Amino acid sequence: MIVLLLWVGGFGALAFFAVKLVRRSERRLGTGPSDYYTTIAPRPDADGLISAYLAGVAGQLVLPAADVAEVRMELIDHLTDSISSLEAEGMDHETAVREALGRLGPAAELGRQLRAAHQSTRRLLAGAGGGVFSAAGGFVLGYVGGVGLAFVLLIIGALCFGLLTLVGIPTPNFNADQNATPNSLMAAATLLVAAFVATRYAVRTSAGLSRRAPRSVAGFWAAASALVFGWLAIFGSHGQQSWPGVIAFLFVPVVAVAAAFVRIERPMPHVGRWSLILAIGGVGVLGLSLVLLLGVTVSGGGSNNDSPSPLVTSGPPDYHFGIVAPPAPDAWDPQGSIFGGGMRSDASGGQLYSTVTDPQAAVPMSTALAYWHDLRFEAWHSLPDDPTQGFGLDTKYSSPFAVLPAEIHPTWLQAVFHFERMRDAGFYEVVLTGVGPDGKRYMLDECGGGSTSFNGSVWDWITAPQ
Amino acid sequence: MAGKIRAQLLKGTTTLLVLTVLRDGELYGYEIAQRIREKSGGAFIPSEGALYPALHALEADGALGASWRESDRGPRRRYYKITTSGVRMLEEHAQEWASFSLAMGQAVGSGER
Repeated sequence: MIVLLLWVGGFGALAFFAVKLVRRSERRLGTGPSDYYTTIAPRPDADGLISAYLAGVAGQLVLPAADVAEVRMELIDHLTDSISSLEAEGMDHETAVREALGRLGPAAELGRQLRAAHQSTRRLLAGAGGGVFSAAGGFVLGYVGGVGLAFVLLIIGALCFGLLTLVGIPTPNFNADQNATPNSLMAAATLLVAAFVATRYAVRTSAGLSRRAPRSVAGFWAAASALVFGWLAIFGSHGQQSWPGVIAFLFVPVVAVAAAFVRIERPMPHVGRWSLILAIGGVGVLGLSLVLLLGVTVSGGGSNNDSPSPLVTSGPPDYHFGIVAPPAPDAWDPQGSIFGGGMRSDASGGQLYSTVTDPQAAVPMSTALAYWHDLRFEAWHSLPDDPTQGFGLDTKYSSPFAVLPAEIHPTWLQAVFHFERMRDAGFYEVVLTGVGPDGKRYMLDECGGGSTSFNGSVWDWITAPQ
Repeated sequence: MAGKIRAQLLKGTTTLLVLTVLRDGELYGYEIAQRIREKSGGAFIPSEGALYPALHALEADGALGASWRESDRGPRRRYYKITTSGVRMLEEHAQEWASFSLAMGQAVGSGER
């Protein structure tokens, strides 16, 4: 509990100070208090000389808008005083303008010197450090917002699917992959929002602190964010995956780059203290509601099993093992050898399937397999063991989706399937087959089954064997 | 010829001159240039093009603070004020300049003999 509080407090503080830092940095970026000056034209301009000069200076500045406006107005003030003074000495206005501009020197040179004066190494380092801090805080803030957004989208999606079901339009069955599609989409949406906010915070903060125009630092942060968040999206984020979620994850680096460039001159919406508290509270309440809702649904779902189903028939259900291979003839089963399949998880998270001879019969494996060769475990897609949807193997498929040769041990055979690293495994059943003396393949044993969803990174998904 | 030599000598002394005139109080850019001219009896006319980059660099270094304020004549102006750090910087520059000008005087004086 204390650890949890420390985590929440730490991340909350990070987000809070990041928001403060962005606000402080952004004071230099917007036109802010200098708006007033940008609207003031200098005194009557001899042939637009002053405007052209100021444009020449501004063209070299590449500073935040507020700094550019301040430099411009300061030079206008200076020129106004200088021209008035020269006119008082007897010069006509045009000559006075030319003389005053001449005293300031070439516009481009002045612009370069002013830019160098603003963009010191100290400010650059402050911008880089502030950008990293702000990105970290922005990521936390974006993650919280992303979770909230994901929950909202989930609720909207659930309502839409509910309405479609009510009017009789078929909707995707997310149970087939243990909700991997909505879960991976939610994870991707969260990361997308977090990467967007983090990159934008980084650009705005580093530009403000280093006194550079946001566009001039956007390239660096776009590249850095694309690398960091791209890595996180493709290699670092582990969980349930599905194609829609994987595609959304692949957009993370794209969104990071867009966040650095698209309308980057616009300030971030400022998040107030109460907005932050409300957002975190809202996510908590939504999460709790969802957990309660799912609990009710699961417990309510059990009662559906009591209702009679048209698929439920008297007698044993048909498991459709016929699509695998014919059953092994008794004649080729030595006296006393009894196979009995079973499954368990191994240390690496794989599903270990084994079949053993009856230990009581003490028939060695070599005797039990006297008639058989090319023994293998085959994983077949199956139905979800639900009275409303049927039992046994899914007859839509005519071949197994995974096959492993059986490892032969003194009294048992085994193979380890990594279904959690196979796309679209869903519901499955594993059987043992072998080639008999007549050269035909027969089914020897049914070892068990279950359901799973892909669990790994986006990279694991893309490179998964299929 | 004399003006060119003076301009060469003035290079690098803008910081010292700016800090010196600001020691007496807040001023805006044009006033700073005028004050330098007045204080030096017209001997130093700082390059106006070099003045503003110097002011902004001193502000970035923390030697000066700047704020926009209403002026007696017309719109708001950007006033510069020396900071504690700026005062220290002024003392260092002044000491450096004193030893430099003494050495230069001695060197030039001995050359004449």
